Amino acid sequence: MDVLGNYKSVISARSADKDIQKKAQDGGIVTTLFAYALEEGIIDGAIVAGPSDEPWKPKPMVVTTKEELLAAAGTRYTISPNLQLIKEATRSYGLDRVGIVGTPCQVQATRKCQLYPIGMRDVDDKIALVLGIYCMENLSYQALEAIVEDHCNQKMESVKKMDIGKGKFTVYTERGAVSQMPLKYIHKYVQPGCHVCLDYVANLADISTGSVGSPDGWSTVFVRSNKGNAVWDGAMAAGLFETKDMADVKPGLDLVKKLATEKITKNQKHVDERKSFGLKSDGTPKALRNPYETP
Amino acid sequence: MSKVVEISPTTRHEGHSKLVLKVNDEGIIERGDWLSITPVRGIEKLAIGKTMEQVPKIASRVCGICPIAHTLAATEAMEASIGVEIPEDAKLLRYILQCANRMHSHAIHNILTLPDMYIPGTDTKINPFTKEEPVRSVALRIQRLREIGQTIGEMVGGEAIHPSNPRVGGMYMNITPRAKAKIYDLAKEARVLAQDQMEFMIAILRNYQNRDFAEVGGTEVPIPKDLGYHNQGYMATDPVYGSSSLDENPTWYPERFTEVRPWDWYMGEMEVSEADPNYPIGGTTPVGTKTWPQMQACTGVPLYDGQPVEVGPRARLVQFKNYDEKGAIGLQIARQMEYPETAYGIINALDALNTSGDVVADYIPQGDGSLGWAANEAPRGTDVHMAQVRDGRVEYFSMLVPTTWNFPTCSRALEGAPWRLAEVIMRAYDPCVSCATHMLVVDEDKRIVTQKLIQ
Repeated sequence: MDVLGNYKSVISARSADKDIQKKAQDGGIVTTLFAYALEEGIIDGAIVAGPSDEPWKPKPMVVTTKEELLAAAGTRYTISPNLQLIKEATRSYGLDRVGIVGTPCQVQATRKCQLYPIGMRDVDDKIALVLGIYCMENLSYQALEAIVEDHCNQKMESVKKMDIGKGKFTVYTERGAVSQMPLKYIHKYVQPGCHVCLDYVANLADISTGSVGSPDGWSTVFVRSNKGNAVWDGAMAAGLFETKDMADVKPGLDLVKKLATEKITKNQKHVDERKSFGLKSDGTPKALRNPYETP
Repeated sequence: MSKVVEISPTTRHEGHSKLVLKVNDEGIIERGDWLSITPVRGIEKLAIGKTMEQVPKIASRVCGICPIAHTLAATEAMEASIGVEIPEDAKLLRYILQCANRMHSHAIHNILTLPDMYIPGTDTKINPFTKEEPVRSVALRIQRLREIGQTIGEMVGGEAIHPSNPRVGGMYMNITPRAKAKIYDLAKEARVLAQDQMEFMIAILRNYQNRDFAEVGGTEVPIPKDLGYHNQGYMATDPVYGSSSLDENPTWYPERFTEVRPWDWYMGEMEVSEADPNYPIGGTTPVGTKTWPQMQACTGVPLYDGQPVEVGPRARLVQFKNYDEKGAIGLQIARQMEYPETAYGIINALDALNTSGDVVADYIPQGDGSLGWAANEAPRGTDVHMAQVRDGRVEYFSMLVPTTWNFPTCSRALEGAPWRLAEVIMRAYDPCVSCATHMLVVDEDKRIVTQKLIQ
């Protein structure tokens, strides 16, 4: 199995837009692509993880302007049920061409909606651009609070940015403090459902992007589908991105591949273990359900 | 010597019904019974004890062609019982939803009607499935009208079939300015198509009125000039939307309504004594089959002022526009005449809609058991729901659905027609038989039922 999925090209890139650079988690790829797609009419709205009333708790929202996109920029390390809005976007929002960004599982859900639309009438043909972000695992909001407020000893509302990288969970505050937690302590906080996920770099997206493999402030971008390719080429022609050849950047594609392999190997083991999780009275193993197999 | 013919099942309408017809030697109907043989699903009984939020969503599932009628009537019956006034913008969204559904429903009925009709000036019946002109472009126009109706319904109602947006106290969502603009565009396109479709259908129907005969299963059947005439009254509450007990001047009167059992109204046990194996397609019920409308009918017989009444497009036009054309084709023409208002209604409501306005009432009472009712002018006529809500739960729920009203009326309208045209008369009512089939309750004397008194 190819752990990085199918793709046409892989590039290290960052947005040429200074406003986006300032707000973005890494290279500002998603914000820039959606802003471009909105301007060009490729999409007429996008479902993103926007801000909510609680600090660092994302709320899915439909955005139609660059300003709203900028407000949604940055990673929030907790669940944002973006698919919640995929039908509503085609209803009261009146969208004909929907953009959506999501983690690998959310991209999978989007594709499943398109192929097996159960209670998803008129959604399949209105999905115009699917952007995926790399995801190793996710946390509940309480878990994020515990990490930030207990392990890192910072108040949620004073945090400016959170980042996972180089074996650390790092918190940056508005007033300039930096706190860290070794990533090895994160395990008990991870959402259990993430342990059966076999996708790291959003294999089913039109374009997927993430920080791993590229230097700080840059993103590693996989251009996957024909549609993704057309959008990427258009954005490049419009001069929206600075790029570097993936072969020239450190740590490069090898690290992406290594992490993807680790995730998939570890989680595949977990999937396999579920087959003999329990014990029947006759001594044979009793399985937990495996969504990747037909029962 | 009269004979008994039975057409079972009837076709090209919603649901499951049959026609039991007593005919004379010329094949003219002396007495006809059109009855539902759709199994009773008992929504009204199952509703008891459930929440007022849930029941309208269940009631919607009575019918997939006019779910808007049941959703809105049930929701508004709950609102009438608890006494909540919904915001103006929620009303406008519901009005748009109502018009959009009527547009789609009338258009789909055109497809069901056209195979009875002729291309004017020819003896060729219209086959909506043919790829040949002029029929194909008509079929495409009908499909576009339906697509527009359903798309608008989807945006304001959340879903075209079983709308999700209506809730007790208003709507869940207002629409965005983008959605409003899209609905304007679609309604403007539909306005032109609806006008063309209306004119086309009226020409087709007038041509049928001017014909001397129709061909049914190889037989030339004379078309009487009084096809489908009846002397029953009409009942309608509004030209487009409806009425409820919250209104200052409600336009429906519960005290004028009574209901009798099929036993009191339909024919008794009989044996089929005439059959036509060539009746399209598959023939009529074979000779010797026992039939018993009194026992087999799955609807009650609702009466208004002690009489069966007609509801639907013609009733609305008679009541509010002095329409005076009788008969099956007169009813069909009235239906076509409702087309333009579906599009204009949407445009006018949009003009008034504030997309930033509140769509849910600030305070939603939980009810003290008062009786409330709401009438929705469904595509097929007046759909009255009655409810009593206490502490957020439904204590009593009843549905008086358009086709229930029309069953006995249409049965009377069959008299004097050749039996082979009975289905043409029936189809003029745009029957929705699963809508019509609901619970029937009998009082201690086992005779008369007054839904109002049931607890």
